[in-house]
Amino acid sequence: MADSSVSQAYRSVPRPRRIPVIPIVELALLLILSVLPLILEDYLTIFVTRVLILALLALSFDLVWGYAGILSFGQALFFGSAGYSIALLARDLGITSIFIVLPASFVIGLFVALTLGGFLLLGRHPPTTIFVALGTLTGSYAADRLARGWYYLGGQNGIPGIPAMTAGSYAIVEGPVYYYLAFATLVLVYLLCRFLVRSQFGLALAGMREQEARIAFFGYRVQHLKVIVFSLAGAIAGLAGGLYAFHEGFVGPNMPGVIFSTQIVLYALLGGVGTLIGAVIGVIAVEIASFWLADNYQQVWPIILGLLLLLIILFRPSGLVGLLVSERERVGAFGRPPRTLPRIAQEGGEEDQHAAP
Amino acid sequence: MGLQARPGSRAGWHGMESALNAIFEVLSFGAIIVLVVLGLGIIASMMGIFNFAHGEFVLLGAYTTYLVHGAGLPVWAGMLAAPVVVAACGFVLERLVIRRFYAAPIAAMLGTYALGLVIRESVRGLIGGLYISVPEPIVGSLIIGGVQVSRWRLAIVIITTLVMVGSYLLLTRTSFGLRVRAALENPSLARASGISTNAIYAITFTFGAALAGLAGALVVPVFSLFADLGIRFLIQGFVAVMLGGVGTFEGPVAGGAVIGVMSAALPWAVAPVLADVLVFVLAIVFVKFRPGGLIAGRRF
Amino acid sequence: MDAGSGYRDAAPMISRRRFLRSAVWAGGAITTGIGSWVIRPEWASAAGPIKVGIATDLTGAAGYAGNADANVAKMVVKDINNAGGILGRPVELFIEDTASNESIAVGNVRKLVQRDKVDVVLGGITSSMRNAIKDVIVTRGKTLYIYPQQYEGRECTSYIFCSGPTPAQQCDDLIPWLIKNGGKRFALPSANYVWPHATNEYVRKIIEKNGGEVIFEEYYPPDQVEYSATVNKIMTNNVDVVFNTVIPPGVGPFFKQLYEAGFGKRGGRLSCIYYDEGALAINAAHEIEGLATCLDYFRVLTKEDPVSARIQAEYDREFPGGALFAAGSAATGMYRGLKLWEAAVKEAGKLDRDAVAGALDHAKIAEGPGGPAEMVPGKHHCKMKMYTAVAKEGNYEIVGRSEGLVDPKAC
Repeated sequence: MADSSVSQAYRSVPRPRRIPVIPIVELALLLILSVLPLILEDYLTIFVTRVLILALLALSFDLVWGYAGILSFGQALFFGSAGYSIALLARDLGITSIFIVLPASFVIGLFVALTLGGFLLLGRHPPTTIFVALGTLTGSYAADRLARGWYYLGGQNGIPGIPAMTAGSYAIVEGPVYYYLAFATLVLVYLLCRFLVRSQFGLALAGMREQEARIAFFGYRVQHLKVIVFSLAGAIAGLAGGLYAFHEGFVGPNMPGVIFSTQIVLYALLGGVGTLIGAVIGVIAVEIASFWLADNYQQVWPIILGLLLLLIILFRPSGLVGLLVSERERVGAFGRPPRTLPRIAQEGGEEDQHAAP
Repeated sequence: MGLQARPGSRAGWHGMESALNAIFEVLSFGAIIVLVVLGLGIIASMMGIFNFAHGEFVLLGAYTTYLVHGAGLPVWAGMLAAPVVVAACGFVLERLVIRRFYAAPIAAMLGTYALGLVIRESVRGLIGGLYISVPEPIVGSLIIGGVQVSRWRLAIVIITTLVMVGSYLLLTRTSFGLRVRAALENPSLARASGISTNAIYAITFTFGAALAGLAGALVVPVFSLFADLGIRFLIQGFVAVMLGGVGTFEGPVAGGAVIGVMSAALPWAVAPVLADVLVFVLAIVFVKFRPGGLIAGRRF
Repeated sequence: MDAGSGYRDAAPMISRRRFLRSAVWAGGAITTGIGSWVIRPEWASAAGPIKVGIATDLTGAAGYAGNADANVAKMVVKDINNAGGILGRPVELFIEDTASNESIAVGNVRKLVQRDKVDVVLGGITSSMRNAIKDVIVTRGKTLYIYPQQYEGRECTSYIFCSGPTPAQQCDDLIPWLIKNGGKRFALPSANYVWPHATNEYVRKIIEKNGGEVIFEEYYPPDQVEYSATVNKIMTNNVDVVFNTVIPPGVGPFFKQLYEAGFGKRGGRLSCIYYDEGALAINAAHEIEGLATCLDYFRVLTKEDPVSARIQAEYDREFPGGALFAAGSAATGMYRGLKLWEAAVKEAGKLDRDAVAGALDHAKIAEGPGGPAEMVPGKHHCKMKMYTAVAKEGNYEIVGRSEGLVDPKAC
C-alpha cells in the first residue's frame, strides 16, 4: 500500500522542464571572449588579457572555497611565489621559453600549496575553518613582508623589466597573441576543473561540503581530499602568476600580499561561489565596472564596491550568478530525482543539519 | 636648543641605559597591541566572530583625533573624543550589520572585511590618500635612569595599563561584568538564566570598538595618519587572538603581549626583515600544535 | 604637509586630492580612467596637439611630492600654450596617478603610452617607481622618458633622461661640510631598495676619502615605523652624523624618535638629501632642526635670484595652500625637464623619438629654478647649480654654493 501511494505521489509530482542555464552562460562567454581581440583596439585587448589571468586566479579560489569548503585567504601567495620565481629565472638565468616557464609556474604553485596545505590541514586535530583562513592569511602576509624586505628579490622595487616570453625565437608580447594564450589556458583549466567537480572526486567533495563528519564516516579521508584540492588550486594560481609576470613585465611585493588575496576572494564572492563560471563572471564584472565607473567616481568606486559586497554577503550570498541561475542548478543535483516524497516530513530534522554553520 | 658640534666628546649610552631603553620601547609597543587585541579578542570570545573591520576602528580613532585637532582643539581633546566616537560607530554598525552574522562566523569574516573596506576607502578619500602627521599632546622627553625617554610613549604605557586594569576590575568586580563573563563562557546557559545576550553583545562590541578607537588615537602621533594604518594592526591582532586563545579575558591579553613584545624585541636580535616574518610564522606553528592557544578557554 | 598642525601658518584644511581636483576642473580638465586627468589646450591647430604624459604619485606616501610635480607640469604647459605652443601646436597634458604603488603604477602608465599615445612621459619619484615604469614607457611603449627626481645615478638607458641631481652633485660638497660641521663618525640608516644601496656605495667612498668613518650601514623595509633599535645603536655608538636614506613613511617616525632620544641636543647632525621645504609635511620643525642637505634650489634663493623668484611666485599664485614647489620633491626637476624637452623639440622640428632624443642630448636652458641647466652630451644627465643648506625653524639657510654648474659625473 505504502509503495503504490509513494509511487503515486512521485508520479503526480510535477517535473517541470528546467533548461540548464549554466552551460548557456559558459558558451556565451566562450564565444564573446574568443572574438574580442578582433573587435577591440590593442590597449583594450591588453586590459582584457589581464582580466582573464585574474579570472584564472579567482577560479582557483572558487575551487577551494566553493567545492572544498576551505576559506583560503592566501591564493595570492601561490600566485606571487610563482610570479617571483619565474621573474628570477628570467632575470638571473635568462629563461623565458614558454615551454619551461608555464610548467614551472604550475609546479611551483603546486609545491608551495602542498607545503602550506599539508601543514595547515593535516595533523591529529582537524583544523577549524577559521584557523585555515587565518593561516593562509598569515602566509600571504609573511610572503609580502619577505618580498618587501629581501633585497635579492628587489625589496620594495620588485623585479621590473622582465623580458618577453619566447617560444623558440618568437617573442610573445602583450596584445592579441598573449590574449589567446591566456584565453586558451583559462579554457583548458576551466574544462579540467569542470571535469573534476562532476566526477566521482567531485561527488566526494560535494559530500564533504555538505556534511564533513558523514563523509568521514563513509571512509573518505577528508583531510587528504582537502589537501589535494588545495594543492591543485595552488598550482592553478601559480600558473596564473607565471602568465601575469610576463604579461605585466613586473612583479612586486603586492603580488603575494594580503590585499590582493582578499580582492580575489571578493571577486569570487561577487560572482558567486560554487559554480566555476561564477568566479569568472565576478572578475570580469568588477574589472569592467572599475574601468568605466572609476572615470568620474575614482574615489567613491572602492566604497561602492565594498558596499555592494556587503549587501551581497548579507542578502544574496549566491552572488551574481545567483541572479541568472536557479538555486538547484547552482548547487548541482548530480542527476538524482528531486526528493519531493511525503517522507520528507519525517526527515525534517536531518534537513536542518544541512544549513551550513 | 643648543647645537654645538663637539666631535668625539659626546657621552654615549652604555649597556644599562641601552637595556632600559630597549625594555621601554618594547613595553610601549606591546601596550598598543594589547589594547587593540583586547577588543578583538573579547568580540571573538563572546560572539565567536572575527571582526575584520577591527583594524578600521583603530583607523577611525586616529582619524577622529586628526579631525578634532584640525578643528583647532587641542590634541588630547581629540584623544578623549576618539573612543567615544568610535564606540558610537561600533554600536550603530553592530545593530545594523554585525548582529546578522552571529550565527555564521564565515559570513562574519567576509562581511566585516567588506565593511572594513568601505571604512578604509572612505577615510582614504577624505584624507586625499596622503600621510598626515599629528602632533603628540605631550612633547619632549624625560630622563629616567640616565636614559632619555619619550614622554608620550610613557603616557601610552600608563594609559594602557590603567585601561587594562579598569577593564579587568569591571569584568570581575561588577555584576555587569559577571553577566558579561557568563555570556562569554556559555551563551545559551546565560540566555536561559535570563541574561539578555543581545544587549550584552551590543555593549561588548561597542566596548571593543572603543578600545580600538583609543588605541588609534594614542598611536597616531607615533605612526602618522594614513589609510592603511588599520591593516597592520589587523593581522597582528588576529594572530595574537589565536595565539592567546579565546574564551577568557586573559587569553587575548597574553596573546597581544607576546606578539607585541616579540614584534618590538626581535628586530634587536635579527634582521628586521626576518623579524617581521618570524613572529607570524612562529605564532601559526604554535597554534597548530596547541589549538587552544596559550590560555585555552573554549576551543575555537 | 598637513593642515592645522600648528607648525605652519594657517594652511586651510582642504584635502589634497579635492584641491587638485578643483584646480584641475578650474583648468578645464576632464577625468578619464582611474586617477587620471586630461588637460586640453584652449586652442587647436591643424596638426593636432602635442601630448605630454605625467606619471606621478598623487596619493600615498610620496603624495606631498607628486602633487607638486603635477602642479608644476600644469603651470609650465599653461605657459607654453599661452606663448603659442611648440612648433605652432598646443600641448595637451595627461596626468596619471602612480599612487606610490608600483603595481598600480604599471597599469596606469600603460594608459599613457598605449591608450593616450603621449609623445613623452615625465615622472616617477622613488627609484623603485622609476624602475617599475621605465620598461613600460621606453621598451614596450617606445616613448621618451624624463625622470625629474634626485637619485643614485647610473640610469644610462637610451631614451631615458634625468633632470634631477646625482650623488656626485649632491654629496661631493656636502660630505666634507658635514665632517667639518658635524663629525667623523657616520651612520647610514637606509630603506631597503635601490636608491639607498647605490647612494650609500658612493657616499661611503666620499666619507672615507675625507677622513670620515662609517660606523654602521643598515637597511629596513620602507614602511617600518619602529626605529628604537636603530636609534639605540646611534646613541650608544657616539655617531656624529646620521646620513639618512630612509624614506616616507618610515622617515617621519624615525626622525621623531631620534629627536626624542636627544640626538640633536647632544650635538648630533642629521642629513637627508631629499629633505626640502615640503618635508615639513612629515616632521615638525623642531625634529629636524639643523638638518643639512644639498639640492638644486631652495625657497630662500628667491631673495637673490629674480628667475627663481618669478617661478616661485607664479607657482604660489596658481596653487596657494597646495603642495610646495621644492627641490627634493622633484618639482624643480619637473620644471627643468619640461623646459629642456621643449627646447629639444623646437630644435628637432618634429616629434619623432630619435630626433627629439638627439636634440635633448645637448639641450640647454638659460632660466631655471636655482639657475640655468645644461645636458651633458652623451651622458643623459644635466649640469646645474647646487646649494648646501641647513634647516632652521622650518626654513632653509644656505651655507654653501657651488661655483657655477656642477657636472653630474654620471654614465
